[in-house]
Amino acid sequence: MSLLEVRAASKSFGSLAAVRAVSLRVAAGELRAVIGPNGAGKTTFFNLITGALRPTAGAILFDGRDITAIPAWRRVVLGMARTFQITEIFPELTLAENLRVAVETAAGLRLRPWISRGAAASVRRQVEEMLALAGLAPKAGRLVGELSHGDQRAAEIAMALALRPRLLLLDEPTAGMGEQETYDVTQLVRRLHRDCNLTIVLIEHDMRVVFHLADRIAVLDQGALIADGTPDEIAADRTVQAAYLGQAAEAGAADAGAAEAGAAEAGAA
Amino acid sequence: MLQLLLFNVTNGLIIGAFYVLMALGLSLILNLSGVINFAHGGFLVLGGYLAYTLTPFLGFWGALIVAPLLTAAIGMAIEQTLIRRLYGRDPLYSLLLTFGLAYIFEDVTRYVWGAQGLPVTIPAFLGRPVSPAFFFITYYRLFMVAVAAAVVLFLFLLLRHSRVGVRIRAGTLDLETVSTLGVNVGRLRAFNFALGIFLAGLSGVLAGGQLGLDPTMGAGLLMPSFIAIIIGGVGSLPGTLVGGLLIGVASGVTAVFFPSASEAVMYVLMALVLLARPRGLMGEEGLLT
Amino acid sequence: MRESGRTHPAVLVAIWMVLLLAPAWLGLVGGYTALGARVLVLGLAAMSLNFLLGFTGVLSFGHAAWFGLGAYGTGLTLKFVAASTPLALLAGTLLGGVLGAALGALIAHRRGIYFAMVTIAFGQVFYYIAYRWNALTGGDDGLRGFSRQNLAIGPWSVDIVANGVAFYYFVLICFAAIVAIMALLLRSPFGHTLVAIRENERRARFLGIPVEFHIWAAFALSCVFISFAGGLYALLNNFADPNNLHYSLSGDLVIMAVLGGMRSFWGPLLGAAVFVVLQDYVSSLTTNWMSFVGLLFVLVVLFFPRGLLGVLRGKSPA
Repeated sequence: MSLLEVRAASKSFGSLAAVRAVSLRVAAGELRAVIGPNGAGKTTFFNLITGALRPTAGAILFDGRDITAIPAWRRVVLGMARTFQITEIFPELTLAENLRVAVETAAGLRLRPWISRGAAASVRRQVEEMLALAGLAPKAGRLVGELSHGDQRAAEIAMALALRPRLLLLDEPTAGMGEQETYDVTQLVRRLHRDCNLTIVLIEHDMRVVFHLADRIAVLDQGALIADGTPDEIAADRTVQAAYLGQAAEAGAADAGAAEAGAAEAGAA
Repeated sequence: MLQLLLFNVTNGLIIGAFYVLMALGLSLILNLSGVINFAHGGFLVLGGYLAYTLTPFLGFWGALIVAPLLTAAIGMAIEQTLIRRLYGRDPLYSLLLTFGLAYIFEDVTRYVWGAQGLPVTIPAFLGRPVSPAFFFITYYRLFMVAVAAAVVLFLFLLLRHSRVGVRIRAGTLDLETVSTLGVNVGRLRAFNFALGIFLAGLSGVLAGGQLGLDPTMGAGLLMPSFIAIIIGGVGSLPGTLVGGLLIGVASGVTAVFFPSASEAVMYVLMALVLLARPRGLMGEEGLLT
Repeated sequence: MRESGRTHPAVLVAIWMVLLLAPAWLGLVGGYTALGARVLVLGLAAMSLNFLLGFTGVLSFGHAAWFGLGAYGTGLTLKFVAASTPLALLAGTLLGGVLGAALGALIAHRRGIYFAMVTIAFGQVFYYIAYRWNALTGGDDGLRGFSRQNLAIGPWSVDIVANGVAFYYFVLICFAAIVAIMALLLRSPFGHTLVAIRENERRARFLGIPVEFHIWAAFALSCVFISFAGGLYALLNNFADPNNLHYSLSGDLVIMAVLGGMRSFWGPLLGAAVFVVLQDYVSSLTTNWMSFVGLLFVLVVLFFPRGLLGVLRGKSPA
């Protein structure tokens, strides 16, 4: 059974249809990439899944349960964690404090006006574990706002992991990163997928990352799903090429070049 | 009884027109600059007192024009020297600054003009009742409503059709985009602030002719203006207009039946509106659309 | 684990020593014990407000309403119901706390400027009630005709009516109790969620925190704390008046928090001390003290937006 199922979800803002009747199934344990030209509606689609926005039509199912009408925070409790395109963290708190909030909330302690020594120790252990997993242990005491961009992105992923999710949604995890940082994040995502057997959906612009990681790829264009398949199928898909080429013709975007390069690379492999 | 009701409804409309003038100024500044101008009542009082001082030299009509302009100029000077520094910061700071300014205004007006009430002298014919049957309606009251209506009409036309008005409306919705289009946002805000303060000054002159002036009256008029904005919906000038008239009439009518509750009714109205429509009556719509 | 914003133990000891010994040293520097009690009470009010403002990031500009309700509730209980100081204090706290919690439920989904405006406007409701309901509240003249009562602890009776120093220590014990509760809350998982909401509401929501509910809880708690402070204020003065509920007191409380440093736990107490002493001093010199208070607002906003403790720490918020 699929862990996440989106049934003909649509979202309009006034007369603008940002997402049009997109259906998608993500199986447990799968790593699914969502790609598409700029303005294709990828982030809006994410917002529908995570509850930041309510769909105009259609339904979202998580683990077989209809979650279309439940608020965002409750979806997190059900096991759905996300990161954002622009890093969302608690800048004036230390890295460890950032993670502590996540761990405590995930442990159901959020309304506790006190905490036992045992529980506090357990929280501390989990925080350290997450820091180690994200490779951030030496920076535990630093204010997150003072960390490098790459470390902040990693911190956000670590916070999402601290929630012990069953489904992790990553919105452009490598956005604005250099070569080395992109590589590190890619390795982290791969580890999470392989070793922790986590179901992951990610939006990504860097086609090398996408074709390197994804089991399946969904392609959005102008709010509609135009293709959904394995990396090989997507690389060979004419509609997808047209969508990216169309954008390249309009804006001369580097993305399309990357898409072609990525597709070629994947085809060669 | 009917006479009394009529009296209080007209009275409510007149007071409402007043709240509208004041609240529109507050609303303009709030919408474009994100500043809750606590000193708005202070500017109103200043306008009134300036008119009091100018009337012997310029006459009522001269003062009616010059005093609000002077007030607006003072407002713009304060905006340029103090408030401008706080744009983009936590709204807490501009709130506290204007709060402090309100204290200073009240104290300074008391120091300069004294604590006792002063009248703004109005032309004799405006003081006469319209007719014996409607003895309670003086020409001055009609005049106040006419001025308020004309100003509101002018303001809405300005915002809809003039270049600066369109920019103010666009800036209210998305200031960043407006600035990337090459509009000088600093000047736009300064003009908009001065416009808001002009309305406050004008209300002050009009109020002075009807109620007389005293240093604390500004603070008393501030709360109804807040409520007008909240009822109408923050961000919507037509909402402010409706909200101001609504609370004016509501308190007028209440004054007939429960005189002591005439202020409280505004708050009740606000609570009811917020329960039914959390964004206020016209809060969801865009500006002036 | 390093904690951001925790007070150094040595500073903590110093604060409590200063407060404990106040009746001894206040006279030496030209103060008086009642002034010390006033600082404690308004400091507690500013700290209660700051629980919301500085630690949850929610700008309530109508908190005087809950302070004043605490004062009236306490005064009315002493006058009409029971001659018991603790009971009156409890009644005042409940009055402000319950009404605050009710309003909080109505507005917890509002933010920023709108929240500030709505809290100011609703706060004024209670001002008008106190101002108008002459028969019960004494209207404009304020509520008189009640007095705090001596404390009965087992077989002993503690004189806090005539003995100003004993009353100071009574206030200090009350202050310590509420401050301890606030400090423990802020160190608890619940407190951590509040700071998280202040830092980034969206992130907090997507960690699985129902943000509106937590903001409501923080608002209600803050109302309970400040009502308690208001009750103490009524006991201090044996008097309550509509100005205890007016939004200008709300503004004064906010400036105390900002002046002291709203990101630090003890900042508002320092701010209250500076504000109260300055006001006491300036109003003894000139009738134009309002200008000085106004000027203080302007100067704080322009030059000390992070407050005195913020300047001392030299750590800049982003």
